[in-house]
Amino acid sequence: MKIWTSEHVFNHPWETVTKAAMQKYPNPMNPSVFGVDVLDRNVDQQGRLHSKRLLSTEWGLPSIVRSIIGNTRTCTYIQEHSVVDPKEKTFELQSTNITFTNMVSVDERLIYRPHPEDPEKTMLTQEAIISVKGISLSSYLEGIMASTISTNAGKGREAMEWVIRRLNTEIEELAITARGTLRTPMAAAVTEK
Amino acid sequence: MNSVGEGCTELKREYDQCFNRWFAEKFLKGDRSADPCSELFHKYHTCVQKAIKEKDIPVEGVEFMGANREKADS
Repeated sequence: MKIWTSEHVFNHPWETVTKAAMQKYPNPMNPSVFGVDVLDRNVDQQGRLHSKRLLSTEWGLPSIVRSIIGNTRTCTYIQEHSVVDPKEKTFELQSTNITFTNMVSVDERLIYRPHPEDPEKTMLTQEAIISVKGISLSSYLEGIMASTISTNAGKGREAMEWVIRRLNTEIEELAITARGTLRTPMAAAVTEK
Repeated sequence: MNSVGEGCTELKREYDQCFNRWFAEKFLKGDRSADPCSELFHKYHTCVQKAIKEKDIPVEGVEFMGANREKADS
């Protein structure tokens, strides 16, 4: 069993990061995630939003390999449970693979919180527990997987920055469009004089 | 982003748009009013459940009749 942990600071406030995390996929840094579905969602008595989601991922094997072993066998499915607490400002996600469970188990946990020293920043704490089952060299393979998870976590953070930029661009474009629709009648009113 | 059920992607997009708007403009701002997306979710959810059953995906805690969850993937 291998445990991997990491901490990262985003230079954006918690609400921005949480909105982006909720819309993380698709993004160019995580091309293997090809499907995200909401299985269930509800707000609990304390006002926290619970979501259960299914992530469909593809190993990225060359298409010739996929055509031999069949498409369904190269898909890995991950189930994720998340809780957003808008009062405490926490967004916590836990996920685990639900396929290939006889071979490997990858459990991940992420918590996004405002940075304790700067409310304009957000702290992400991540951990993964990896278990390769039933074969020797398992600790070696676990080490490789931990290193892959570390690389992917870096990509995941880049992905978050990408989503945040995209959301900010959309907001700017909406503002420009709104100003444009005001300017046209105003310009017409001026030229009519 | 696509849905696991190819036919559900459009329903998913409509639901996601509704949810993301409510999430950003109401929920995160402390507005406790219920989300207006339940009907959209219901349609989308029905579609996804069917796709999950058809693809035999071992989702836990979701109504899933007739699949053998102990089936090992190899």
